[in-house]
Amino acid sequence: MNNLKRILLVEDDPKDVELTLTGLAEYNLANEVVVVGDGEEALDYLHRRGKYRTRHNGNPAVMLLDLKLPKLNGFEVLQQVRADENLKLIPVVVLTSSGEERDLVRSYKLGVNAYVTKPVDFHEFVNAVKELGVFWAVINEPPPGSVNKR
Amino acid sequence: MGTQAPASKLTEQVQQTIFRYSLAFGSVAAATALGLLAYRWDLEESVLMFFVLAVALTSWYGGLWPAIVAFTVGFLVFDFCFTRPYYSLVFGREDVAYLPVFALISGLLIWFGTVRRRVESELQESRDQLEKRVVERTAELQTANEQLQNEVAERGRVEAILRERANLLDLTHDTVFVRDMNDVITYWNRGAGELYGWTKEKAVGQVSHHLMRTIFPEPLDEINAELLRTDRWEGELIHANRDGSRLVVASRWSLQRDDLGNPTAILETNNNITERKQAEEALRRSRDELEVKVKERTAQLSKMNEELQLVNKELEAFAYSVSHDLRAPVRHISGFTELLQKHAKPVLDDKACRHISMILDSANRMGTLVDDLLAFSRIGRVQTKTTTIHLDKLIRSVVAEVAPDTEGRKIAWRIGNLPICYGDPAMLRLMLGNLVSNAVKFTRTRDNAEIEISSVNETPEEVVVFVKDNGVGFDMKYKDKLFGVFQRLHSQEAFEGTGIGLATVQRIVHRHGGRVWAEGSVSNGATFYVALPKPREVKQ
Repeated sequence: MNNLKRILLVEDDPKDVELTLTGLAEYNLANEVVVVGDGEEALDYLHRRGKYRTRHNGNPAVMLLDLKLPKLNGFEVLQQVRADENLKLIPVVVLTSSGEERDLVRSYKLGVNAYVTKPVDFHEFVNAVKELGVFWAVINEPPPGSVNKR
Repeated sequence: MGTQAPASKLTEQVQQTIFRYSLAFGSVAAATALGLLAYRWDLEESVLMFFVLAVALTSWYGGLWPAIVAFTVGFLVFDFCFTRPYYSLVFGREDVAYLPVFALISGLLIWFGTVRRRVESELQESRDQLEKRVVERTAELQTANEQLQNEVAERGRVEAILRERANLLDLTHDTVFVRDMNDVITYWNRGAGELYGWTKEKAVGQVSHHLMRTIFPEPLDEINAELLRTDRWEGELIHANRDGSRLVVASRWSLQRDDLGNPTAILETNNNITERKQAEEALRRSRDELEVKVKERTAQLSKMNEELQLVNKELEAFAYSVSHDLRAPVRHISGFTELLQKHAKPVLDDKACRHISMILDSANRMGTLVDDLLAFSRIGRVQTKTTTIHLDKLIRSVVAEVAPDTEGRKIAWRIGNLPICYGDPAMLRLMLGNLVSNAVKFTRTRDNAEIEISSVNETPEEVVVFVKDNGVGFDMKYKDKLFGVFQRLHSQEAFEGTGIGLATVQRIVHRHGGRVWAEGSVSNGATFYVALPKPREVKQ
């Protein structure tokens, strides 16, 4: 729990987690991923409380956020992140099964940086995740206070 | 004549004067002659009597002055012939004796004649006056008589006119009768007879309100007050006819007044509106019933609407959850099968590999189905936005979008003039995208595919665009099945598809208030027409 990771994956479905990690593994980014299973845990991680009390300081370079989550859903997590002085600059990418327009609109209204619908096709999915990881964790210059690149 | 009349009168007067004086002289001459005769026969005592007779005769017939002349001449002749000295005018002793007697008698006679004549002339005068008055009176009577005759003739004419009018009134089917100020009927036309069943003979003389058992819409006093105030009244009355059946009449009363302005009679004209009233009543009843039904139906509908809204909400929640939850397992199947294929390929035989590829195929198909169904259901749920859309721009971007699917194929695109229309951009894009990709798909077997997109038959109400291809076409007997959900006319092997595309097209077009239809035949291509209503504001 001490090593700092650049990608926070908020996903409750272990199968999706595995597929996502498979995608990220192609660029050796799998090790850069912290996986949390619900919204509350995601906030715990970001605020360094609960079981993440001891983790090192620093925000992830990107948060991949599912919308349908137990306890607190993706929107609620996003809202709280954007409302928090220390967290509001974190780049957030919604990665969801939903292609519903209202989800899209609501996410952007809450200040999301990107919105990606998980493709059904495996290759497309892997490509999407891979490119997301590369862009946000490698190419993009994260805001101050984020975990540094290695 | 006017000048002759006095002349003839003058002549008459002269003649009369001559006659009177001739009479004087004649009678004296006659008396002289008779005296001479009497003298010869020694009857000299009676001579004077002849002269007295002459004077009397002249006085009687000749008047005062001839009588005086006769007296004077007579006495001179008497003096000359019959007193001594004979044949001399010497006034002797004898004359003194005769003269007073003669003069006295003559004077008396003359006075008597004068009185007589005066009386006679007065009589004449009064008779003349009387005659004149008689003539005047006769003339007056004549005039009066003529007037009377004129009046009689006039009255006859008026009566004829009245009779004619009364006959005319009889001709009308309207009910017309007249009653006096005591409501006693004085006139009763044929229409009244027909309506109420009472003959003229029975009705005239009856009190109308009793005869017809009138029911008034307001107190009779008030009606009469209005009638006297305004000379007319209109309203609906309920009457009874001879059988006792009730009638509703539209009644009009007019007050007749005499020259002094006193009311004399009331003319009542009635129209039978019983049937109309019954129809109105029936109409009102059925309207009431209808209103009740409408209310019931409205209540039902609003309840149904509520239920529908509830169902709609459930459906929306369902679609939402499908969107989230149904796609995930499909993705997982596809993803892990892919991984399996990748990792286990060395140890799998061909059959197993084929099975794996079938699983992948099915999973992908499932994914497409879910996506299409979601898009389809979204059409019903999403609010349409309406803006002006340049269809030519839209179609070009749609055609550009399908370009990846047309690689390596020869397709002749013919894009004609497309109108501006009004609708939801995203939906119309989806609709045209479906039609165009269908055209691309079903011309796949053609070496030279032709796809035409253009517009036809623009009317003031709608724009019509079509997408025409030279592809495999379809049998027109299935044209109604084309637009049904999951309806397909081709096998999955020949042309892949979910059977949702055209259903989506139809749904979008219907949501825009438009029409969609197709023409085609097997192997000869198909044409899909879309008619969209024009907005009122954006007339081209």
